[in-house]
Amino acid sequence: MTKTFLLILIFLLAVAAAILIGPTRLDPDILQLRLSRVILGIFAGGILAFCGCLLQGLFGNPLVEPYTLGSASGAALGASVGILVFGAISPLLAFAGSLGVGFFVYTVARIEGGLLRDRLILAGVVLSFLCSSLVMIVMVIGGRELYEILYLLMGYLGIIINATNRIMIAALIFVSMIIVAFLYRYHRELDIISQGTETAAGLGIDIQKFSLIIFFSAALLVGLTVSIVGAIGFVGLIIPHVSKLIYGPKHRYNLAASFMLGATFLLLADTLSRVITVYELPVGVVTSLVGVPFFLYLYRK
Amino acid sequence: MCTSLRISVIFCCVSLFLNLTCDTQKEVKGARIVSLSPAMTEILFSLGAGDRLVGVTTFCDYPEQAKSIAKVGDFSHPSIERIVGLRPEMVIVNLPEQMRITRELEKLRIKIFTSSPRSLDEIFAEILALGKELDLNKQADSLVTYMKGHLQPVKTKHRKKVYVEISPKPIITVGANTFLNDLIDRAGGVNIFGDLNKDYPVVSQEAVIVRDPDLIIALHPETVTGRTGWQKINAIKNGRVYTGLNQDHLMRPGPRLVQGFEALAKVIND
Repeated sequence: MTKTFLLILIFLLAVAAAILIGPTRLDPDILQLRLSRVILGIFAGGILAFCGCLLQGLFGNPLVEPYTLGSASGAALGASVGILVFGAISPLLAFAGSLGVGFFVYTVARIEGGLLRDRLILAGVVLSFLCSSLVMIVMVIGGRELYEILYLLMGYLGIIINATNRIMIAALIFVSMIIVAFLYRYHRELDIISQGTETAAGLGIDIQKFSLIIFFSAALLVGLTVSIVGAIGFVGLIIPHVSKLIYGPKHRYNLAASFMLGATFLLLADTLSRVITVYELPVGVVTSLVGVPFFLYLYRK
Repeated sequence: MCTSLRISVIFCCVSLFLNLTCDTQKEVKGARIVSLSPAMTEILFSLGAGDRLVGVTTFCDYPEQAKSIAKVGDFSHPSIERIVGLRPEMVIVNLPEQMRITRELEKLRIKIFTSSPRSLDEIFAEILALGKELDLNKQADSLVTYMKGHLQPVKTKHRKKVYVEISPKPIITVGANTFLNDLIDRAGGVNIFGDLNKDYPVVSQEAVIVRDPDLIIALHPETVTGRTGWQKINAIKNGRVYTGLNQDHLMRPGPRLVQGFEALAKVIND
């Protein structure tokens, strides 16, 4: 109970910091700007960590996350193709990239009656590399779009919100929250599966079908996130571990805590990225810079 | 005997021919030029030396004749093989953007003329240097005189605060050490990011809002109005957002800066 209370307190503090700390004095306009940034931060950080937790539970592997499964890179590839062809990030292409890579990885790892977990990660990492080189080709062809793609690859919350993209972003966030709520309902099944697939099968869970649902919903969520704020790394990998250190293995708490912690972490990282320099840093730079030492410290303890 | 005589005669003829062709090439200094800089391509045409260009980039689209010259790649990724294949006597490169290719050209001992103007004065100096290099001093002098004459500072009492947006995502603007900063200054405005010591910095929306520009000039096709949090900016309130200015006139450090400057001065002092 106290843990949860503390978690909420830290989250609120992060929100307050994200709103109050900045290079300039707060006035209604700046507040509007920072609020939209906070919303994006909660959305992206929460979803990436949530997906990480989901996938780590499903595949019982601590290295699984949107990046290592290739869906983040696939989404980034789709989004950069969109930038090149249409001059703007196209959410549909980002989903297509994310789902396409997801489908390929899934097919490679699939065997009779289940998924080979090692193969899954191997295929994901390999496809990630492939997507990275394809993104490089897009950057070479594009030239002028280079900066935009660079920020897309590192993730960036300071995007301009205007009349044309406001409704789309709101709709995408709404849809992804519904998916999150839908997936959260499976916490019990996840608990059982992470104990071992045989027990789960014995208890009557259709693992094949279940994995398929989780896997592709997560890919869809990652595609949604990347299409708005870019591919922010590291949140999906470390936050679920932090959450597990606090709450233990139960997914009922872990999924929710991952969402909260992911949001908190990204908000703090974004606040830092705004005040370190006069210039705007991509937030992904800060998540790795701060996240890696913090994570190593936690694991040594 | 007979064959050796014949061979020596042929040899003499060939060497004489070679000499002759060499002599005709020596008449014109830098007769085979590859330009990797769209601005320098324009300058060469203005100097009346467009016919010396044997290779350009796909970005070199002005004047019209430039489009029919062999392409060696785009501005960011020119192909070293295509350049070498054109056997240029001189390659004009842009720094720092084309650092990598410049090093490779240096290794091959190909003559390089570098262009990296960070102010109007540096543009003039480069034109004069190019004129000297190509024995076109008179033409270079008159081009510089023409440009200087048309880029005279506009006198105003109230200098408007100007924000130039090169890209909206991320927001890239113009810093202190740029010819665009000079142009804004001469046109009677103040660049709101003229204090940042970086050529083309990435800045935040908050920084733009706080610096509250009187006018916004967008050098990209996307809309500026209707952005969350931007509504109280002076320029937005007064409807002084300009999106129609020709980017090439303002972004290319060449002769057409004159047109760019005139358009800029017009919107600033409107």
